[in-house]
Amino acid sequence: MRPLVLFAQAGFVLAVIGAWQYGNTAGIFDPTLLPPPSQVVLALAKLIQSGAFLADAFDTVTRVIAAFVIGAPIALATGFVMGENLGVGRSLAPLFNLVLAVPQSIFLPLFVLLFGLGFTEKLIFGITHVFFVVAVNAMAAVREVPHGQVVLARSFGAGKLRIYRSIYLPAMAPQIVTGLRLGIIFDIIGILLAEMYASRSGLGVLLLRWGESYAVDKLMATTVLISVVTILINELMRVFEHRVGRWRQAVEFQ
Amino acid sequence: MTPAQPIVIETRRLGKVFSVDRAPIVALEDISFSVPEGSFVSLVGPSGCGKSTLLQILAGLVSSSSGEVLVDGAAVRHPVPDKISVMFQDATLLPWKRITENIEFPLEIAGMAAAERHKRVVEMLALVGLAEFGERYPHELSGGMRQRIAIARALAPNPRILLMDEPFGALDEQTRIKMGHELLRIWAKTRKTIFFITHSLTEALFLSDTVLVMSHRPGRIVGVIEDTLPRPRTYDIIGSAEFGAARNRIWKLISQDDDEAAEGGMASL
Repeated sequence: MRPLVLFAQAGFVLAVIGAWQYGNTAGIFDPTLLPPPSQVVLALAKLIQSGAFLADAFDTVTRVIAAFVIGAPIALATGFVMGENLGVGRSLAPLFNLVLAVPQSIFLPLFVLLFGLGFTEKLIFGITHVFFVVAVNAMAAVREVPHGQVVLARSFGAGKLRIYRSIYLPAMAPQIVTGLRLGIIFDIIGILLAEMYASRSGLGVLLLRWGESYAVDKLMATTVLISVVTILINELMRVFEHRVGRWRQAVEFQ
Repeated sequence: MTPAQPIVIETRRLGKVFSVDRAPIVALEDISFSVPEGSFVSLVGPSGCGKSTLLQILAGLVSSSSGEVLVDGAAVRHPVPDKISVMFQDATLLPWKRITENIEFPLEIAGMAAAERHKRVVEMLALVGLAEFGERYPHELSGGMRQRIAIARALAPNPRILLMDEPFGALDEQTRIKMGHELLRIWAKTRKTIFFITHSLTEALFLSDTVLVMSHRPGRIVGVIEDTLPRPRTYDIIGSAEFGAARNRIWKLISQDDDEAAEGGMASL
């Protein structure tokens, strides 16, 4: 079943690329709006050898990583406290409901006014994207820690630290990793969005500029590059998620 | 049970008051009893009469509002894992750990060396007759097997006392009867002191030396039945006249307490 699915998926991707290439050679697509895949690949090869492009890519990656490294730990700690302490959880609920229900992009003009166009604004916008989804998942993870097992560990003389390490951590891990996976994806969305809206550097600016100047091969090349990297990150995290949560799937089937 | 055995658990006028919406609710009142070393004592009573609260107080997991619990003459205020192990209705095995690791868990907490732990795990698995299941995960075992692993884990630190809170309550009838026999076999072999909570009068009588009968709200001990049925016990004993008479005595103690309690008792049969 599994190899068959992989085969079908690969077949689908190849079919799309094939149809794309065929559409160009047969003259169905206008090459100024949609260049053939071969041209996009060439453009990509050129881009990744260009210092200017790499500098922009570096800026974007730096912002994404910085937002994650700062946002995720704060989010985990906040979510943990919210899950453990009902009062804190309830007090912060309105803020979470607001941010998670409303598209965060509408706050972007406000962020630019408050923090300017530089690194700080991108970083803070990225952090807000990481924070809420990671915190909500951490909170849900704490609430799912089975009370019976905590009582049992206490009866065996376990202290707080031991209970956190032996019960909380493994019980929470799968949901935490889900949160972190979504956090990275949201982070990338947030940073690119901020760059496309108003920025002096980054892949987002390049996308916007190339779109406006009909440099479609470069635009497509960068789009494909970002897509592939994002998909890879997502799939890697999913593998990790599956590994720490293997016991959970087994329990659900029981 | 020989009367010469020393007392290992003693409760003195134990009381517990909960505060629900600022209104005090008396869960336990004036609970005094003692459990001799090596005996099998059951506590029966209707659902919600405070049995589990009492067990958690005995285990040092919950504090009492008044009175005290003595184990070997020392007051219990915190869990005493070297003397007391607890078992619940749910096996509460850690689903991400293998069976051997689950049995090791209390030994790890106690800080036992790895080699000694492994030796102990092998002994415990043999004791409950599940030696070949050590490398499995809890979800791969049946409910009855999981409870046997919970027994193995509880006995692994070699406590003197085993507190059991309706350990077979979630099992089907056949498995439950088998587990009762299994528990008696393990008890005879290890000579632990067992304090066993159940709402099944039959189960209590079949297993115990002494049956404590508890009333409903406030939870009080309304009778102590010395269970003199001959040992070793087999399933046939449940049909005997002696068994029926003892069962009726317990039932009368529960039902004469008050109408409400009688209803609660009836519902839980």
